[in-house]
Amino acid sequence: MNEFHLTEDQQDCLQELINIAMGQASDQLARYLDTFVYLKVPSIESVEAKDLMKTLSQQKNTMAVVSQGFFGYEGIRGESLLVYQEEDSGRIADLLGYEPDELSQDEQLIDISSILTTTFLNVFAQQIDNRLSYNAPKLLPNVQEILSEHLQQMPFTWELALKVNINYQVTDYSFNCNMILLIPETAITNIKHVLDRILEEY
Amino acid sequence: MLDITAPTTEKTTNVPAINELVLEQINSQIANQLNTGVLVLDADFNIVLWNRFLQVHTDKISDNIIGQSIFSAFPELPQRWLTRKLSSVLQLNTPSFCSWQQRHHLFELPHTRPITTDSEFMAQNCTFLPIETDATDKHICILIEDVTDACHYQMQLQKTLAEIAQISRIDGLTQIYNRRHWQDSLEQEYAKARRHNKKLSLIMLDLDHFKLLNDNYGHQGGDMVLTEVSALISTLLRVEDTFGRYGGEEFAIILPETDSAGAIELAQRICRIIATTPLTYNDQVINVTVSLGVAQLSDKESNYEELITQTDSALYKAKSEGRNQVCSAAELVS
Repeated sequence: MNEFHLTEDQQDCLQELINIAMGQASDQLARYLDTFVYLKVPSIESVEAKDLMKTLSQQKNTMAVVSQGFFGYEGIRGESLLVYQEEDSGRIADLLGYEPDELSQDEQLIDISSILTTTFLNVFAQQIDNRLSYNAPKLLPNVQEILSEHLQQMPFTWELALKVNINYQVTDYSFNCNMILLIPETAITNIKHVLDRILEEY
Repeated sequence: MLDITAPTTEKTTNVPAINELVLEQINSQIANQLNTGVLVLDADFNIVLWNRFLQVHTDKISDNIIGQSIFSAFPELPQRWLTRKLSSVLQLNTPSFCSWQQRHHLFELPHTRPITTDSEFMAQNCTFLPIETDATDKHICILIEDVTDACHYQMQLQKTLAEIAQISRIDGLTQIYNRRHWQDSLEQEYAKARRHNKKLSLIMLDLDHFKLLNDNYGHQGGDMVLTEVSALISTLLRVEDTFGRYGGEEFAIILPETDSAGAIELAQRICRIIATTPLTYNDQVINVTVSLGVAQLSDKESNYEELITQTDSALYKAKSEGRNQVCSAAELVS
């Protein structure tokens, strides 16, 4: 337990904010995709840096990771990683409403990641009276070796990462991915302030 | 955070307030001096505004372009794809991106580095941003960054990496595969043969009395022999065969989908051609011979190393029985 860990109340509050954000994001997404999107309640867990490395390196069939930076007021910033397993990627083009030959597999992953990240984080930011900007999403090359290297080379030190497990099911087929939000120490402190403020208001 | 669209600031009371016109002029000058293309569309994808960067990088005249559909102003754009992209920006109210790594460029704009780059058009990173104003309809801002340099350096880096990867597989002297790559290939071919129940054979060969060659003609003479023999053998192989330098004067060939009869036939041809092809070094004729061992993968081997051992034993037998000959591992068993 260190100063960056969330208290039980803060954790509950965050879970609630994420639930609402995810609900609204999937509602927007369903309308955009013009199909029924079924969403399971996202599970969140905060993981320490060293544990995250371990979990990620154990995921043998990780096929792709798309990274996208975000930054907002009050020092809320970090990086979102969307982690895909091999079996998840089959019909993303269908999901996005493109013709199969219109875009490459890489572009499909980048596109869906960007949509998931930005719709979710936009709503999340609104919940905490913030507004976020985003970097262009990037597909990390050679995931197996690169991921832990990528985590080590972050321009900020981070102790705690927020792992949000998202599971979307779109009508007749399912689509899964994990969203991992890496949040630098200073930003965690800021998020805790925001959470405390929200908790006080209720 | 600096917000240039904000009207006069309230906090700085002792500084005279900048009037809105001046602020607008500042904004417009910044937009026009950016080294980034700025294009604003309405919700029907008609062009509302564009900056100087785009004006000078296209031959189109500003008066003609404002109010035009982006697709008629820039017919090169992939209409279906971009429509879907722009719709997502409007509908989800989120930014969208397009990197040169997936699409080299969207807009056909010339760049100023014609000699060093492969494409005649500027490599671009494009960002699509939702813009909310007091107007009822949303707008979309497209930012077009020139990343021709980054693209060019990235291409060069990839080319260099590919070259390095190639070099790391090649034996410097003979220009055939080195042992490491050869062994990796064998490991793969072994797995493939096991999985699909296919035939696989190996040939290992050794130059006869190589030490003597080195003693008589010097190491440069020896090197010449290694190079020439490698080149000679290479001409006798199929594209799917993997030929590598296993050790000093020892070579090895992986023969996928080949039984021992086929491998023995090839080994004998190699043996005969090398024995009958005189090499010359410093005006001296050097006659070299090779000994070869052959083995075919059977049910007995439980890994690729055991196949090497089999082939090596056959090679040892060919040596001990007088060199310049082929011996098959099958003969060892009987």
